[in-house]
Amino acid sequence: MIGSLIDSASALETVDERLMRCGVSRRSFLQFCSSLMIAAPFGLAITDKKTPEEVAAALGKVIRPPVIWLHFQDCTGCTETLLRPSHPDLGDLILNVISLEYHETLMAGSGRQAEEALAQAVDRYSGKYVCVVEGSIPTRDKGVYMKLAGRPAMEVLADVAGKSAAVIAIGSCASWGGIPSADPDPTGAVGVADLLPNKAIVNLPGCPPNPYTLLGVVLQYADNGTLPELDDQRRPKFAYDRDIHEQCPRRAHFDAGRFVKQFGDAGHREGWCLYEMGCKGPDTHAGCSTRHFNEIPDVWPIGIGAPCIGCTEKSIAFRVPMFKVVQIHTRVTPPETYPPINAPQGKVSPLATGLVGLGAGALAGAGYVASRKFSDVPDDDSVPGSAPPADAETPEVGAGPGAGPKASS
Amino acid sequence: MSLAINRRQLILGIVGAGGAAAGGLAKSAVAMEHPAHPVAPPDAVGMLYDNAICTGCRACMTACSEANGLPPETAAGMPLETALAAGLWDIPADLNAQTKNIIKLYREPDGAGFCFVKRQCMHCLDPACVTGCPFGALNKGEWGAVTWNSSLCIGCRYCEVACPFDVPKFQWDKWNPKIVKCEFCFDQRLKKNQEPACTDVCPTGAVIFGKRADLLSKAKQRIADARDKYFENRVYGEYEAGGTQVLYLSNVAFEKIGLPKLGSTSLGHYATKVTSVIYKWLSGPLLVGAILGAVIKRNWNRHEAERPEHEKQTGLRDQL
Amino acid sequence: MSVHRTDTTGSTLVNHWQYGVPVYDEGLITPTLLFFAGLAALGLVLAAARFFSPLGPFSGMNDAYAWGIWKTFNVMTLTALGSGPLAVGMAAWVFNRKKLHVVMRTALVSGFLFYATGLVALGFDVGRPWNFWNVMLPWRWNAESAMLEISICMPVYCCFFLAVENLPMVLERIYYTGSDSTKAFLLRWAPRLRRIYPFMITGAYVLPLMHQSSLGGLLLLGGNKINPLWQTPCLPLLYLLAAALCGLGFVTFLLLMSSLRYSRPLDLGVLGELGNLLSWTCFLFLAVRFGDLIVRGQFHAAFAFDKMSLLFLLETTLILVPAIALRRRVVCETPRRLLNMAVLACLGGLLFRFIPTTIAYMPARKASYFPALPELLMSVGYIALGITAFGLAVKYFAVLPGEIKDWNYMFRLVRARRQAVARKGAEPWPASLSTR
Repeated sequence: MIGSLIDSASALETVDERLMRCGVSRRSFLQFCSSLMIAAPFGLAITDKKTPEEVAAALGKVIRPPVIWLHFQDCTGCTETLLRPSHPDLGDLILNVISLEYHETLMAGSGRQAEEALAQAVDRYSGKYVCVVEGSIPTRDKGVYMKLAGRPAMEVLADVAGKSAAVIAIGSCASWGGIPSADPDPTGAVGVADLLPNKAIVNLPGCPPNPYTLLGVVLQYADNGTLPELDDQRRPKFAYDRDIHEQCPRRAHFDAGRFVKQFGDAGHREGWCLYEMGCKGPDTHAGCSTRHFNEIPDVWPIGIGAPCIGCTEKSIAFRVPMFKVVQIHTRVTPPETYPPINAPQGKVSPLATGLVGLGAGALAGAGYVASRKFSDVPDDDSVPGSAPPADAETPEVGAGPGAGPKASS
Repeated sequence: MSLAINRRQLILGIVGAGGAAAGGLAKSAVAMEHPAHPVAPPDAVGMLYDNAICTGCRACMTACSEANGLPPETAAGMPLETALAAGLWDIPADLNAQTKNIIKLYREPDGAGFCFVKRQCMHCLDPACVTGCPFGALNKGEWGAVTWNSSLCIGCRYCEVACPFDVPKFQWDKWNPKIVKCEFCFDQRLKKNQEPACTDVCPTGAVIFGKRADLLSKAKQRIADARDKYFENRVYGEYEAGGTQVLYLSNVAFEKIGLPKLGSTSLGHYATKVTSVIYKWLSGPLLVGAILGAVIKRNWNRHEAERPEHEKQTGLRDQL
Repeated sequence: MSVHRTDTTGSTLVNHWQYGVPVYDEGLITPTLLFFAGLAALGLVLAAARFFSPLGPFSGMNDAYAWGIWKTFNVMTLTALGSGPLAVGMAAWVFNRKKLHVVMRTALVSGFLFYATGLVALGFDVGRPWNFWNVMLPWRWNAESAMLEISICMPVYCCFFLAVENLPMVLERIYYTGSDSTKAFLLRWAPRLRRIYPFMITGAYVLPLMHQSSLGGLLLLGGNKINPLWQTPCLPLLYLLAAALCGLGFVTFLLLMSSLRYSRPLDLGVLGELGNLLSWTCFLFLAVRFGDLIVRGQFHAAFAFDKMSLLFLLETTLILVPAIALRRRVVCETPRRLLNMAVLACLGGLLFRFIPTTIAYMPARKASYFPALPELLMSVGYIALGITAFGLAVKYFAVLPGEIKDWNYMFRLVRARRQAVARKGAEPWPASLSTR
């Protein structure tokens, strides 16, 4: 496969042409397209399509962008992650989609051949290529700690990245310094954006990041020349706008207060939340909790029972101890299933209300009728309800056995 | 004709009975004082809830239900099977007979901000429910926890009326109804030297347990460290209703999260200001009784003196 | 020319109301009685059912409004109407208004029935009645609780003091319908009863002074939940004064309606006295009410014309209008006007006692309460029970005031006794009876 890579370096062809030439089956390609739709859906114009066939059709017309891949102070893990999956042969497919002009790990040549290839690629595609940077750049002592063909990394970066259309800093090292920048940072390792702040840079932190993130960025650029929406740390929002904690499969355990207290305990075996083991998920922005790795579900740190170390975050990875518990700052917008401060209480029975109304009305009516029966004449002692006398008479005093005192007028 | 006991013995008997009742009352009357500003008992424990830290995870609700053996709550009277089928699980609308502790959500009217509040019994220093309960079923006991005793409660629900925080809940749907409210996990955990379930499980430390005095100073320290972060730079519950053992720090107005605006004297003080004087040793009733008795006796004697005259006039026995 | 104004003897033998006389000229069972008995039976059946069921299905009470109409209406409100023995009694025995002795029995019977049915309502309202035996253990009493005071004082008052006060009326019937040995027994014990009677009366005024004010005291613990127009440390005193005016007003109303119903002449001397007392009591109530509002600085709230203010103005007007009107003698002594004023005063007093328990009681903003149908039927049933019992009492006992010429020693006999008498074929008692 490597041979055909170098062959194709001379011509910029579309993806379709390339795939035909390399003999990649239509089926594999469609599978790749459907994975693309799931893995990199946000902010990508190209995947604004409903079916893999549509994606395939759109993708097929994309002119393969030239890519120059630089390695500085790296472990090559980011390249490894790109090539790791084998079903489908993702690495193969990615390399069919882009035109990889220079890659120290993958290219056949070395030494002077490699230097020339770099110079040629930079020249020929000047202003058009995408420069992918892997690894941090040393800055201390004029950057002597990493040299490429005798030139310090800073100089190479300024040269190659300077002539690129866009820079993708893949991995935490290229994004903000990564492991080499950890205490005591003997080389003064920094990320690309620290050296070229004015360049269009997309940071893809992670150790390593998900390969589909890279693919999504590259494809968008290839399709319409734009980069995806970035946050304030230049990370594409479609992959980094949420933290692990929000989408973590173990979130229910967190909510219910079920925490692993010790590696290997019963909770650990049950798959309980690793927050108390120092999981940095709540403070780490990345898509690992949904996309996992190697395209196998649950193959990601938390899924296998290891707390997240926050490898994308500059303030956390390689700085905060792995098993130190973090404070949870970010609070997601709560769903509606929280009770309000004042919940309604009590129900009013319409039948009872009606009855009370009726009863009150009846009483009032009866009261009115009854009061009409009483005499409106003052000093009228007669039996109520009987006709009132014409004038007030002297009332009789009852005559019982023994006379009562006569009331005097 | 004379009574088997004479009048003097009768009077002494009644006064004696009144005195015995007064004595029986005096024991409980003296035990309960209602100073205008109650003092926390020395072993008073408490909880400090800070809604700037609370993330609304509701682990405290689950832990409370588990520790207290409470059944899950379904939405507004829905049968359990229906609720589970509909995917609605354990979302009480408020504290109720199955929920001793609840997290509620406050949303700003413009929809911009929100915060949570944890509600449960406040364990007041001078609880109104304890003042009102006729047989002392609600009692402020060890560590200042207010607990309910099922063998003394008659189910009159005066505690529900008295509580300014609307905390005690009644089991309307049970024939043997209890009053349900947070008791600091008194029987289940406090007595075993463990802290209550909610404070134990809280992952962020939004609600913590400790001695009230310590929590109060910790809260004031937080206020001092972050001036103007907390509403009115004060702790709710320091003086409200005479002081409570559950303290609140909030970054929005207390009234917005449902904590009522209350004065600094306890309801017990307000309610017993006058009656504690009038009814001390039953002195008021006895005094009024003595005065009324004297007047009535005099009028009665006159009535009795006039009776023969009346009966002669009417020819009938006098009717009482 | 009216005789009432010149009557200064204070004698009870004024005009038509001279003596308690049973109702003779009507059958025992009437359609009205059956109607009320039916309502009462329905209420009691529901009450029995409620006893074997949780409270929830039978009532609309909820945790926000934990007290329903059984407590707030049947007990806290209606016992004001049942304070006739207190108000009329104190006027008669303490303030020496001798005219009122003749209506005491009416007041006593109605008061007893209001209290008894109120206690029945209370008994079926508590959720854990089996623990009430704790009342017999004084060391378990919480002396500060107004609820405790009421739970002890009201039953003692009703079942002992009021019962003893009603006893002479019952014994009178037993005497006049009993055998010679019964008569001899009663004649031996009557003087003893007379001797303790003044103490019973004293207790019968001290106890209601305590518990009627405690009914108001219950609401003190309601605190801020009760609207400031009603929440005041003077609540106990105001409840007591409301009880007094309701008691007077209701006895007036009851006497007028009974006279209408049983075709008896009125006695405006007595009724006028009641109206006069009612007027002064209303003024006293309003003085305390407004004095309290002014001292607490809530006077402006009374005229804010929001819902609460309008309720306040309604209740005040209902009491103010009778207070002023009844100062005019012509109103006191015109039956229709007196009736209307008495009813207004009662309504005002009832409204005052009921509003702070339910309408001006605001626990949580979205809570609401309205009695459920069974709750309503039970409440009405208890009231109907009282009405039925009153309807029977006035026929069995010499309750309502009437003229001595209508008195004929004839008490309505129960059927068995009537048959015994018919068999004997003789008068049950000599036509002329020595009163000694």
